[in-house]
Amino acid sequence: MSTDLSHFKDAFFEESQEHLTTIEEGLLQLEQRPGDIDLLNRIFRGAHSIKGNSGMFGFTAVSQFTHKMESVLDQLRSSQMVVTVAITDLLLQSLDCLKTLIDCARTGAAPDEAHVAALGGRLEACQGTPAPGQATAVPAADERSLPPGTHRFTITWAPPRYLFQRGLDPAQFLKELASLGTVTHLALDAGRLPVLMELDPEQCYLGWTLELETGKDLKVIDAVFDFVREDSTLTIVDNPVETHPTAAVSDGAKPLGEILVETGVVSQTQLNQALSQQKKVGEILVEQKVATPEQISEALKKQSECTVPAKKAETPSIRVDTVKIDRLINLVGELVITQSMLSDLGSRFEMSQLPVLLERVAQLERNTREIQERVMGIRMVPIGNAFSRFPRLVRDLSGKAGKKIQLILSGEETELDKTVIESIGDPLTHLVRNSADHGLEPPDERLAAGKPEQGIIRLNAFHEGGSICITVEDDGRGLNRDKILAKGIKQGLIAESDKLSDEQIWMLIFKPGFSTAEKVTDVSGRGVGMDVVKRNIEGLGGTVSIKTVTGKGTTFTLKLPLTLAIIEGMTVRVGQDTYIVPLLSILESIQPKREMLKSIVGKGELVNVRGTYLPLMRLYDVFRLEPELSDPTKAILLILETEGERVAVMVDEILGQQQVVIKSMEQNFRKIEGVAGATILGDGTVGFILDVRGLLNISRNGTAQAA
Amino acid sequence: MAEQEFANKELNHQTGISTDGSQFLTFQLGEELYGVDILRVQEIKGYTAVTRIPNTPAHIKGVLNLRGTIVPIVELRTKFGMPTIEYTMFTVIVVVVVKEKIMGLVVDAVSDVLDIDKKDIQPAPQFGAQVDVSFLNGIGKAGDKLVALLDMDRLLTDGDMTESEKIAA
Repeated sequence: MSTDLSHFKDAFFEESQEHLTTIEEGLLQLEQRPGDIDLLNRIFRGAHSIKGNSGMFGFTAVSQFTHKMESVLDQLRSSQMVVTVAITDLLLQSLDCLKTLIDCARTGAAPDEAHVAALGGRLEACQGTPAPGQATAVPAADERSLPPGTHRFTITWAPPRYLFQRGLDPAQFLKELASLGTVTHLALDAGRLPVLMELDPEQCYLGWTLELETGKDLKVIDAVFDFVREDSTLTIVDNPVETHPTAAVSDGAKPLGEILVETGVVSQTQLNQALSQQKKVGEILVEQKVATPEQISEALKKQSECTVPAKKAETPSIRVDTVKIDRLINLVGELVITQSMLSDLGSRFEMSQLPVLLERVAQLERNTREIQERVMGIRMVPIGNAFSRFPRLVRDLSGKAGKKIQLILSGEETELDKTVIESIGDPLTHLVRNSADHGLEPPDERLAAGKPEQGIIRLNAFHEGGSICITVEDDGRGLNRDKILAKGIKQGLIAESDKLSDEQIWMLIFKPGFSTAEKVTDVSGRGVGMDVVKRNIEGLGGTVSIKTVTGKGTTFTLKLPLTLAIIEGMTVRVGQDTYIVPLLSILESIQPKREMLKSIVGKGELVNVRGTYLPLMRLYDVFRLEPELSDPTKAILLILETEGERVAVMVDEILGQQQVVIKSMEQNFRKIEGVAGATILGDGTVGFILDVRGLLNISRNGTAQAA
Repeated sequence: MAEQEFANKELNHQTGISTDGSQFLTFQLGEELYGVDILRVQEIKGYTAVTRIPNTPAHIKGVLNLRGTIVPIVELRTKFGMPTIEYTMFTVIVVVVVKEKIMGLVVDAVSDVLDIDKKDIQPAPQFGAQVDVSFLNGIGKAGDKLVALLDMDRLLTDGDMTESEKIAA
């Protein structure tokens, strides 16, 4: 049975992730807008869904803990408690705990019980009144607006066993009660049910507990039970109700009326009648002179503004806009038509029809290109998904570092490949942490420098050419050239005599183990991280660059390809073979003059490119091919760069530039040194994509000399 | 079982009939007849030019685009130390699946699908074939023909197909 549920479980975990994100975003926004009922409702709904779903799958630890959070949220929502920083902190901590609990439920690991209990205790303690032990199955009554003078009766009724023998139906009683007012809560008590063997179908074992909101008084309610009062267990408790001026929308559950109609408790007409008697909160408030119509309409406007859909969480599946799919289907339709036109033409082809053929082939080409673009578009998701974790991170960091930090996000709608988005999360986190910890100064230092107390970290994403740029910018102290230089020399990364450009100096901070922070903090300063950032970004085929102005701030720019599956490449030829060089790694291509070439015995050849000597690598040597040209002055040199290292690679000819789809070599074969992958060229044959790093390794290890 | 002998010309997974591994696709290399378990064979295609892979042993002919998948092609003659010959119209690539990897074998010509009973399979002798016997599962007898049955796993998962660079100088 549990195996049957397993794929629903996956859906639950996926969904929970979304709810968690919603809650987190909500809580963070709540600090700015503490009174926003709509926001609170959204948070509450998230928590409520997690509670309900986890209960369904038997993750009791999750549902119990969520229940405690929910109780606090409920009190906030009903204005019994006020949103304070302490409460937000507590809720955020609880949220983290909830995340861990859900993770534990997924992996089957044991959660840290003590921590959970402690947080649970704090959640309970912070509430004004202890939370009701029972979960609310139906939206709590507080959400509804009630006319004054309403009573809320809690009725517990267990009819006598012989009820059916008297020709009575308990449903009739319930219907009658419902007709007196609104049933806000109905629970079945099946506690008296015997085991199946002993069950007598003619006996009534069931009992009900219901909450009824009505303008009628106790006597009328009591009268309903006149026929069965004897032998019934009946308690009717009258709770007078305060009206709450909340205009809450019911949560994910169905509206009560709908349920009642479905279960046959009331009819649709009865329900409609009841509903028509309900007034809108706004009207009531105006009648009661608590608010002016202007205030109400203002509030309504605000409400509609707040109903922007919550951002989606990162999940292994992709949700695709149906519009995108429809367009794709149209395109496929067109492709099929073009194909049938072509095959029709092919079946009775004459040379005179050549122009027609060429035109159709061109059409086919158009179709194909468009389909390719659209299909790639499906994998594109807004980068906002990767950004969504930063408001929380920055909030925590500013607390820990004792700095005031404002985070400004922009370009969240910029789309890029999902796999890229997944892989840039960690590098971006490192950069933001770094900016918060190293980049921004403490408040007093900022004030002394004549800057506003609050530091700013700006995250921005935008398209530039065929790639996407993400910048992490701070208005802090900037990089300290001398300090980095001194540290670099001390750590032996550079020699004192080295003359480095500013850019080369900044790149030092990406070296493993490099940190200039005087003290190691919880956040950063251990010198782990920046090298990882660089490695990750380069692994994605991207680059990192730094711009910094002392005293003004630092900007890290990540430049990434739009997708991992397709790269922009330069096709080059060596003898009979065609290779593809990733365009990102090409700095320039030159045809050298004789005097630019130097060869050093035993060390290989060098080429002087505007004063810098670069090693010259003959691709045919490295790959042991038969070249057409062996004289560098007749061939072409590609100046390639990888990880700050440059090399001149000699090829026979540049054929052109094209986008290539990367195919794995490892799938059916194995990794080949110097080859990043394969692709299929225009003529259907296979071409290899060069891996510059690998080429350097080969030439260094001198494997080529074996030939 | 025996009546199925030639029915299985269409050499595809799906159509392959389970025969306890006793049905073999046979092909020719020079004068000799070799066989591979038919369930290993994905397809047979005519020889088309391949792309050489830099810095790989000579018997690795190159890679081929097989409907969008990159498939390495092994020249069996070179692998077995036989002299290479001009490719003819009979030269084909037998595409096999070995441990979830797809590979192609260049052979002189395919001949038949043969049923070989387990009792007709003998262990490979230590000499007599031009092949390093560790690549053989045994010698099968079908009628008057002798077929060297290849052990695909051992043949195609040795060092040069999977491990990193080992260049035969």
